[in-house]
Amino acid sequence: MTEPPHEARSSRGEESALWSILGYLISGQIVWGGIGWLIDRWLGTSFVVLIGLLVGMGSSIYLVWLRYGRR
Amino acid sequence: MIRLATEGEGFKPPSAKDFVLPPIFGDNAFTTKPIFLVFLSVILISTFFILAARKAAVVPSKLQYAGESVYGFVRDNLAKDVIGHEFMRFVPYLFTLFTFILVNNIFGIVPMLQFPTMSRVSFPYVLAIITFLVFHYVGVRKQGAFKYIREIMFMPGVPKAAYILITPLELLTFFLVRPLTLSLRLFANMFAGHLLLLVFILGGEHLLQGVIGLKLISPFAFFIGIVLTFFEFMVQCLQAYIFTLLSALYIAGALADEH
Repeated sequence: MTEPPHEARSSRGEESALWSILGYLISGQIVWGGIGWLIDRWLGTSFVVLIGLLVGMGSSIYLVWLRYGRR
Repeated sequence: MIRLATEGEGFKPPSAKDFVLPPIFGDNAFTTKPIFLVFLSVILISTFFILAARKAAVVPSKLQYAGESVYGFVRDNLAKDVIGHEFMRFVPYLFTLFTFILVNNIFGIVPMLQFPTMSRVSFPYVLAIITFLVFHYVGVRKQGAFKYIREIMFMPGVPKAAYILITPLELLTFFLVRPLTLSLRLFANMFAGHLLLLVFILGGEHLLQGVIGLKLISPFAFFIGIVLTFFEFMVQCLQAYIFTLLSALYIAGALADEH
């Protein structure tokens, strides 16, 4: 196998993974915040968008943990 | 403070309009400065690397050494470290991407040219679309279309209920947010940087035409302009690096089969 030493690769991967986390954080807000906003427009309320944003934040952080946190 | 002092005198602060340049000749959208800069960058890059590689010797000349260190940087630090053992296939793409973005960015501070091509948003869009196509193509080729999509949508080892939360995020991230953030990051950095330089340098020039008190402030504006030019150089290199790094990361993600 020509695989480089595992240690070097994983540290490098962790360091560069930071750059791709941003995408997950943004899409969490867009998806669940967007759904909350639509529900708000539909029901004429104004608090569901906040719940949506929080759910989005939470699930994107959960997803980041799933992708990069557990080894 | 400087800007406040000049605004009363009819100073027009630079705006997004300053990025829409008229055609150099003729009357169409294809003969503007950014287009020529792109062609110039291609000519410069190819000339440089052809010259650097032409008389390749074991004991390298200065030119060969310069060319090889750029190539080695992309191959080892970006491709090899991030992608892993299949990296060699992607070195040509990553190398082209890196040098192309780097040279076009640096045009922003080269005297006489002084326009970062990537501050016109269509160029980063196209580059991001290419990266988007490359990493999805690689993933589909490696794992098969069905398995690749399933891998994105349903990560193994996650409780079933969590998929409701996560699957939309994964889809949006992979198919929309990634190319969008990739292009907008590059565009916004180049746009803002160029605007900043315009503010201080045009502002300094405008101050010179004011009363004696304003004339005395003017050198400070120019000085900050010069400092920011060096800062811009750093940002330009960094953005070229990040764009290439993220392309490599996305390719690595598409290649990795998670068990």
